[in-house]
Amino acid sequence: MKKFTYLSVMILLATFSCREPFEPEIEPSDSKVLVVEGYLDTEGLPSELKLSYTRNIQSDDSFVPSFPTGDVYLESEAGDQYPLSSLGEGIYEFAYDIPEDQNYQLRIFTNDGNSYTSELLKPILTPEIIDVGFERYEEGIEVFLTTKGDENADDFLWTFEETYAFRPKLPTAYRYDPDLKTVILATEEYRTDLCYRGETSSDLILETSSRFEDQFVFRQTITQIPTGDERLSVRYSILVSQKALEQSASEFWEIMRKNTDDLGSIFSPLPSNIGGNIKNDQDPSAPVVGYVSLGTVKQKRIFIGLTEVLPWPRTDVEDYFGCIAEGDTTFIKDYESAFKSGYYVPAIPIFCDVCYDPIGFRKAERRCSDCTLRGSNVKPDFWDE
Amino acid sequence: MKQIYLLVIGLFISLAIYAQTNTSAKLTGTYLGLPFERFVERVESETPYKFYFKKEDVKDLQVNLQASNTEVRLVLDEVFLNTGLSYSIDSSNRIWVSKGQRVFIDFPNEYFKVQERKDNLSVVSDSLGGFDKNKRFIIGKLSDNPESSTAVLSGVVTSIESGNPMNGAIVLEKVNYNQVATDKNGNYQLTLPKGRHTIWVQNIGGFQEQRQIELRGDGVLNMSIEETILSLDEIVVSSGALSNINKLDMGVQSISIAEVKRLPAVMGEVDVLRGVLTMPGVNTVGEATTGFNVRGGAADQNLILYGNSTIFNPTHAFGFFSAFNADVVSGVDLFKGSIPVNYGGRLSSVLQVDPKFGRKDKIGGSGGIGILTSRLSLEGPISDKTTFIIGARTTYSDWALKLLEDEADLNDSKISFYDINANIQHELDEKNILEFTGYASKDNFRFDPDTTYSYQNLNLSLGWRHFFNDQLEGKFTVGRDGYQFGIIGQDNPLNSFDYSFDVNQWFARADFESRRNENHILKFGIHGIQYDINPGRNEPYGEESIVIEDVLQEENAREISSYIGDEYTVNDKLSLSYGARYMFYQLLGPKTINEYVEDAPITESNVIGEKTFTKGENVKTYHGPEFRTSARYILDNMSSIKIGFNTMRQNIHLLSNSSSISPTDSWKLSDTYIKPQTGGQGSVGYYRNFAKNKLEFSTEVYYRYMNNLLDYRSGAKIVLNDNIEQDVLNSKGKAYGVEFLLKKPAGQLKGSLAYTYSRSLMKTFDEPSVEKINDGEYYSSNFDQPHHLVLVANYEMSKRINTSLNLNYSTGRPITLPISKFDYAGSERVYFSDRNAYRIPDYFRIDFSVNLEGNHKVKKLAHASWSFGVYNLLGRSNPYSVYYVPEDGKLRGYQLSIFARQIPFITYNFRF
Repeated sequence: MKKFTYLSVMILLATFSCREPFEPEIEPSDSKVLVVEGYLDTEGLPSELKLSYTRNIQSDDSFVPSFPTGDVYLESEAGDQYPLSSLGEGIYEFAYDIPEDQNYQLRIFTNDGNSYTSELLKPILTPEIIDVGFERYEEGIEVFLTTKGDENADDFLWTFEETYAFRPKLPTAYRYDPDLKTVILATEEYRTDLCYRGETSSDLILETSSRFEDQFVFRQTITQIPTGDERLSVRYSILVSQKALEQSASEFWEIMRKNTDDLGSIFSPLPSNIGGNIKNDQDPSAPVVGYVSLGTVKQKRIFIGLTEVLPWPRTDVEDYFGCIAEGDTTFIKDYESAFKSGYYVPAIPIFCDVCYDPIGFRKAERRCSDCTLRGSNVKPDFWDE
Repeated sequence: MKQIYLLVIGLFISLAIYAQTNTSAKLTGTYLGLPFERFVERVESETPYKFYFKKEDVKDLQVNLQASNTEVRLVLDEVFLNTGLSYSIDSSNRIWVSKGQRVFIDFPNEYFKVQERKDNLSVVSDSLGGFDKNKRFIIGKLSDNPESSTAVLSGVVTSIESGNPMNGAIVLEKVNYNQVATDKNGNYQLTLPKGRHTIWVQNIGGFQEQRQIELRGDGVLNMSIEETILSLDEIVVSSGALSNINKLDMGVQSISIAEVKRLPAVMGEVDVLRGVLTMPGVNTVGEATTGFNVRGGAADQNLILYGNSTIFNPTHAFGFFSAFNADVVSGVDLFKGSIPVNYGGRLSSVLQVDPKFGRKDKIGGSGGIGILTSRLSLEGPISDKTTFIIGARTTYSDWALKLLEDEADLNDSKISFYDINANIQHELDEKNILEFTGYASKDNFRFDPDTTYSYQNLNLSLGWRHFFNDQLEGKFTVGRDGYQFGIIGQDNPLNSFDYSFDVNQWFARADFESRRNENHILKFGIHGIQYDINPGRNEPYGEESIVIEDVLQEENAREISSYIGDEYTVNDKLSLSYGARYMFYQLLGPKTINEYVEDAPITESNVIGEKTFTKGENVKTYHGPEFRTSARYILDNMSSIKIGFNTMRQNIHLLSNSSSISPTDSWKLSDTYIKPQTGGQGSVGYYRNFAKNKLEFSTEVYYRYMNNLLDYRSGAKIVLNDNIEQDVLNSKGKAYGVEFLLKKPAGQLKGSLAYTYSRSLMKTFDEPSVEKINDGEYYSSNFDQPHHLVLVANYEMSKRINTSLNLNYSTGRPITLPISKFDYAGSERVYFSDRNAYRIPDYFRIDFSVNLEGNHKVKKLAHASWSFGVYNLLGRSNPYSVYYVPEDGKLRGYQLSIFARQIPFITYNFRF
């Protein structure tokens, strides 16, 4: 054997693959498919049923959706009917304490002459949430939930809503009053330095408790928040809803989750037709989307304050990129011309050595100082401090 | 060899200046201490004799003698006494001096008359290529020289490729070993007894070809043979490479390793499977998969054999590289049409990868160093009866996956693999040969720090080839094939899991081939497989984990097939091949199966009971015949038609809900509810050679039907599902297409152009089922890509520089697209179209590579070559998959391309 001189060859290769927007030409499909959404509470808590139609995939935000109108009621096997009251925009309210030992069917009569009937619905009582907590990791925090299934409730769906308090990049306690044509201290009603913002997450978290010993679902991850995220910059709250599902419902939610969440991986599963438990009476093969369930929803809310997660170096929020207060002071005589349009707000007050009121302000763009552009300055009812 | 050259060249030069001076010359003179060459000059100047010799033979020879009117013969006897040299003198007064053996030069009496009469003779010329070896050429006329028992055969040997005369080709008759080499004009001449002969013609170091002749009188046989380039290129004779037209099988594609090596490689790794993809009728759904689809069949319907070992996962790194190390492979055959009767067990095709065995002369090796992988192999004799070859490949850097895009969340990716091949051949005696082949591979990769995938192949096989007699050959093989897959997830210590599945099979087979007479080749044998499959298990990983162990029932089964087939050459034009296999399959206990309401959909709610079988008890038996028939009819010298029909059965299924082979796809045996896949294929083909066999053209039309295919209901759970029958939709399929292949197999410009139009459709079976996809109508299968075009061109600029171009186009594969959207659970969601109603954008890619050979000196430490090039020369982003994700509550569509830009590669290869 001889020795060989190997030339090791290194070529710097950047990334090979690429993700690009995909906008295929879809034949305009005007078929409107009825969409039914609802988890009706059987213990009398008001709950909503939403009716809507599917809309073209390429329709944008300006699209004004049309909603089905008609009558909706729940019917028990015994023949008792519980009509739902319309709240408009396709939303119907259900608020009855109904016996849980019966099976029910939801019936929908839309004004276009179609009627729809659900499969038999069996109420499932959802067990209580044992615990919702969080843990701080180097990369952020993880919110988790612990619960326990029972013989009726094996499959679970968790959804969550997040609400958080936040401050703008350049908070100010003052505001320009157009009536007085001067800058005054903002009252509670007008404050722009602390707001609350919330949204329902699109995440669907599904788990089967019988996979675990004693059906004990321990520390199921609900969501993760990376270090520096604005959500924990002041105080954060998460409301986790737990719903027990029958198996076919959990399959529906699994398909929905797969069809939205999982399609980006390299081993993509095939998208599946989504159906549900509602059928069109006139044409049983016509597609209807949605799975209506009966049962109880268990919820648990926790708060996480900034002090519990420190250090939390704030990362810039995209909305506040480029936010700085102007270097020149705007004096009282210039208030009107500077702040009348509303584009600029008085951000940083300038005091003289002896005066009580500011003699001027460094101004900043409104987007940098007014938190109400991104949230509400009204403290939510559930807020704990 | 040089000697022959010199002689032959000399012979013909002198023929040209030949003058009739046939007087018996004598020599007079004194020659003292004269170098032989000077002696020759003097003799030549004084006599009509001409000398022919090699200078180095006579370098030290001095002549010391006196002659006075002495016969030249006597003088030469004296000169060459004790020198080891000998000579001969022919009738043209030419003296041939040679070392050792006397040069036998016996020109026939009528030699020159033949030359003069050439014009009157029927000149038989053969531009028939593959036909020539079977055709009997009649040479000469019986009326010529009836009293002579011998006749003179002469002619010109030319190259098929260039048409130029072949210098130094050997023309040989093997009974009495009369042989002659052609001169620089390709002329040869042999004197043979009249009657039938087999004439062999061989280019130096090249292929041997044969011609059947009946020699009736003096005549001319001009022959065209394949020219072999005297290069460092590996010469691989792939089965039937010559005979596009007259081989009996249809739908067979052979590719030699030399051809594979000329293809531009991804990341520089020579990839056998990528060579297969240049053949018509073979598609792939994307770049990160080496699973391939043959004639509208699923990827699991291909039987992939390395020798006799079944390879369950033929790829590394989930598809970036093929599992086969090109250095230990001698050739690849893909049977997609008429599958030989000795193969069975899969529906679509058989990919036979032939292992290489070690060389016999000396220890040698080869290897390569690429950007991501390196390989090394060593081969040679252990003793004069035993040879070995061992080859290994490995990755040495984990940065491969860093090449994948950040957005695909592959930042924490790691990838590594290795494979080892070891083959040993031992010749017990002339009639018994033992062969061992072994293959082991292991892959490890992850896309994020918490989840590690791994899989390994292990294949061992021992074969004994025995020649019972001239007519009967037998081969007995036993072996074991194993494949294991695992995922370890450590996202959270409490939920850490270890998921795995494996496939194991023991096999034993006996194959016999009998040639009772020249018209029949009989093949028969028996093949047994014992399957032992663990379809999936999930266990807690680590002490803290509270994951409950979930183990699917093991599956055990045996499959016994016996077969018999015959290849019958009816006459020169018609050949038939017919055979049958009978497959007997038994699923064995221990096993517990669900029982369902009869004639109702198989759903959880229709379970009416359970049935338990003890170990070894027969759970379910399936058996049935398979038929293989094909026929070839030669239309004329240049063309033939073939027709074939065969049926297949398959008992092992890959559970896969994605269109490409994904590593989590597990294997499953036929059971009470999952029936064996069955199918049949009929095909017709037309084959024609053009331009003196420089171009081969073929076209084949096929139609396939398939039953008991697996598709899945919406939301099917594939992994760890003990009741998979509830999620499977029994489907049937059909596929049809037409394939065109134009190939230029030799010359400076080589290449092929393949075009395929094909369809592959599926339909949920008309029995009660939980869901009928697309309302029970036919829909495109996941790999229905109607148009497919592959161009491979290889241009040899010189013996050292070789360039290759590969062009690939195909219709985008079908996908199910979101067609509308709706709000649900607080977010915008998607409503999908009918299954596979749309397609991703078409695929188009051009690759280019250059091979640079080192210098061609014989005495070198190692022969080295560089190969470099660019994959995806146009930098086109060919989407691999398309998906939609909700972002900020809005739905956005994306297409993911794996190799979205030019990828340069470079590899250093060496042989020693």
